[in-house]
Amino acid sequence: MIAGSSPKRSDIATFRTKLSTAMMLVVAAITAFGFYLAQRNVARNAERALRQNFQTELSALDKLLELRHAAVTERCQKLAANPRIHAALEDNALDLLYPSAKDELRDLMRDEEASGDQVASTLRAKFYRFLDNHGAVLPPPNPSDVGVLSATTEAELTFKKLPEVQQIGYIANDDSSGDTIQEVTAVPIFSTETGEVISALVLGFRPLELAPLIAATGMRSGVWANGRLHLPSLEKSAQESLVGEITNAFMKSKQLENNFRVTVNGAPHLLFYKRLNPDSLFPPAYEICIYPLAGSIAQLHRLRWQIGFAGGLLLLGGFVASHFIALRFSKPVEQMAVDSEKNRIQRRRAEAALASTSERLERSTRYSADASHQLKSPLTVLRAGLEALLAREDFNPETHEELSTLLHHTHRLSGVIEDLLLLSRMDAGHLRIDSEPVNLSQLVGDWLDDLGALPDSPDVKIEEEIPPDLYVAGEKRYTSLIVQNLLENARKYNREGGRIRVRAKADDSGIVLTVGNTGQSITPDAQAHVFKRFRRASIAGSVAGHGLGLNLARELTRLHGGDLKLVRSENGWTEFELRLRAAQPAVERRGQNV
Amino acid sequence: MESRGLFCFSALLALPPVSILAQAAVEGRVELPKSHSAPVMAKRYEIVTRGGVLSTEPPVAVVYLEGSFPRSSSVPTKQIVQKNLTFVPSLLPVQVGTKVEFPNLDDTYHSIFSYSPAKRFDLGRYRPEERPIPSEVFDKPGLVTLRCDIHEHMRGLVLVVETPHFVVSDTDGRFRLGGLPPGRHVLKAWVDSKTTREQPVDLKNRATAHVDFP
Repeated sequence: MIAGSSPKRSDIATFRTKLSTAMMLVVAAITAFGFYLAQRNVARNAERALRQNFQTELSALDKLLELRHAAVTERCQKLAANPRIHAALEDNALDLLYPSAKDELRDLMRDEEASGDQVASTLRAKFYRFLDNHGAVLPPPNPSDVGVLSATTEAELTFKKLPEVQQIGYIANDDSSGDTIQEVTAVPIFSTETGEVISALVLGFRPLELAPLIAATGMRSGVWANGRLHLPSLEKSAQESLVGEITNAFMKSKQLENNFRVTVNGAPHLLFYKRLNPDSLFPPAYEICIYPLAGSIAQLHRLRWQIGFAGGLLLLGGFVASHFIALRFSKPVEQMAVDSEKNRIQRRRAEAALASTSERLERSTRYSADASHQLKSPLTVLRAGLEALLAREDFNPETHEELSTLLHHTHRLSGVIEDLLLLSRMDAGHLRIDSEPVNLSQLVGDWLDDLGALPDSPDVKIEEEIPPDLYVAGEKRYTSLIVQNLLENARKYNREGGRIRVRAKADDSGIVLTVGNTGQSITPDAQAHVFKRFRRASIAGSVAGHGLGLNLARELTRLHGGDLKLVRSENGWTEFELRLRAAQPAVERRGQNV
Repeated sequence: MESRGLFCFSALLALPPVSILAQAAVEGRVELPKSHSAPVMAKRYEIVTRGGVLSTEPPVAVVYLEGSFPRSSSVPTKQIVQKNLTFVPSLLPVQVGTKVEFPNLDDTYHSIFSYSPAKRFDLGRYRPEERPIPSEVFDKPGLVTLRCDIHEHMRGLVLVVETPHFVVSDTDGRFRLGGLPPGRHVLKAWVDSKTTREQPVDLKNRATAHVDFP
């Protein structure tokens, strides 16, 4: 059996493994999904926060720029209204242009140390130049007064045609203090008389730097213009590598404002940019802000650990749970497998046993049936012969008596054969009960009457307590046979001068008929076998009988759905109890049917 | 103070009798651009700029005889007054070497200056009662634009010529220039800062030549 079920065990193990694997896969998938969501969320939040920061800083910058532009515009309008500037421009006294403007622009060119506050410093120009009416730079007589510029830088300030609106640009100024970028504002000067653009004033400022509003962000800002990056807070080498990335990004995208990821000094950063001078005649320039993503990455790391830990826990829990569930699931399955194996074997055995039993039974019933038939026909011949002999007058009384005894024995033999036939039919399952209401009271009464008439009956006293019209469900001749058996036994095994007590009553479960008789008690050993075939009580030697009656009675009783048992047999009193199903009298039922 | 301006003008017109020995004269008409405003009788001109070109409004021309003539020993001093935030007259032809005074007849400061190549000067801010009256000697021929540093709209023109023979036409462009030396000359007509026309003229003694500038 063990050997037979071991492949099943491996099946169970496989089932358990599969279940565990499936659960772990589910847990892993949930963890991964959660992780993905969290990561996306963190990245998005970080980007949103940084963009907000960038916008805030830019708007602060925009305010300063606006302030500056407004101031510069106002200054230029004043300049345009200045008769000396007009005179210089209109009367071709260009040598007098810069001296004439010097007073007017003096405060713009003040020394940087002069004023400390930010608004004033945003209005402090690094240089200025006038453009003639063709857009070319008018050379200043004394460059040190108006800010020294290299020839190439100065050339960047020229226009093909004088602009009619203010232009903002960013140009590189190599000469002074290294690689710096200047914010350049070109403001047209209109003639107060003709309204034509007669000149332009170009002012150069130090680019406004975004003062980090939130120092913790580690934000760095600068300006990208014309392929050059001005990001003073970043080392040269890092700037150089960044320039390439930014320039590439600008080549690809024409957007005025966007953001992308860059790597600065090996660390990931988020770079925001915004066009500083849309629609300008100057080359495009962008405000650049880079934010280290270290914070969000650290947060992500932390989150990754947390989620990983939670996922691990979940996985572990899932594993344990799946193990238990698999166990729970597999136990019945396992049990089923084992049981079915057991069942199979048992069934096989039972089947084999059943087959052999039924075979044996069939053989035995066939045997008894055959035997009965084989016995019956010679018996009939025998009885007929004996009756013919008895009918003759020529035998003496002794012979007559013997013949009579012989005939009586043939009757007994006939009874035995009848019983055997009945039993064999029962055993073969061929006996069918046609159930009908049987009046037990009347049946018992009839048999008790007959009992006294029997020739060999001992002198016994019969006590009966039978209520009238107790109906039981059964076939009348079999019910009668049962009652006859019980009563005959009570008479047969009685002692001389003994008594028989027959009582009947109806209770909840049916009709109970109790038959008690005096006489030698059945020994406790024999009591166990009293209902077996061909077993007669040890006292039976002197009593006529063949040991089939009680067995037959019980079999028939059970076939009727009742039971027959020995209630007691002690102190010279033996009592049997017959229990049968109660039935309504047939008359009443007929009445109901009508 | 109108009489002062008129006096200046009459002085200018009174030039020919001084050189009474010179007998020739020239008259004619300069074709002037159409005036956009109604003609004014008063001889006051505004200086206007159109496309960077300065001219008077209503338009008048200055006609003068080109050539170098002996400079008279005493060149009379001329005046351009600032009155009602304008220069009066707004266009003044002078001979080289003429001293022009710029009296301030307004109740405010004026700061007269010029960046013109012919004469750069800057009188600085001065009050009406400034004495001596700020003046400048125009010693180079050419057109000088007068401006006020304080009142940016103020414009005045001084046309400095070599010759003592010049006259301002009327608003129809008619002119008469007398007391001229006979001979072949070139007669010029200044119309605006960018336009000066010229015609050859043969002057006869005691005769009046007729020259029109189309």
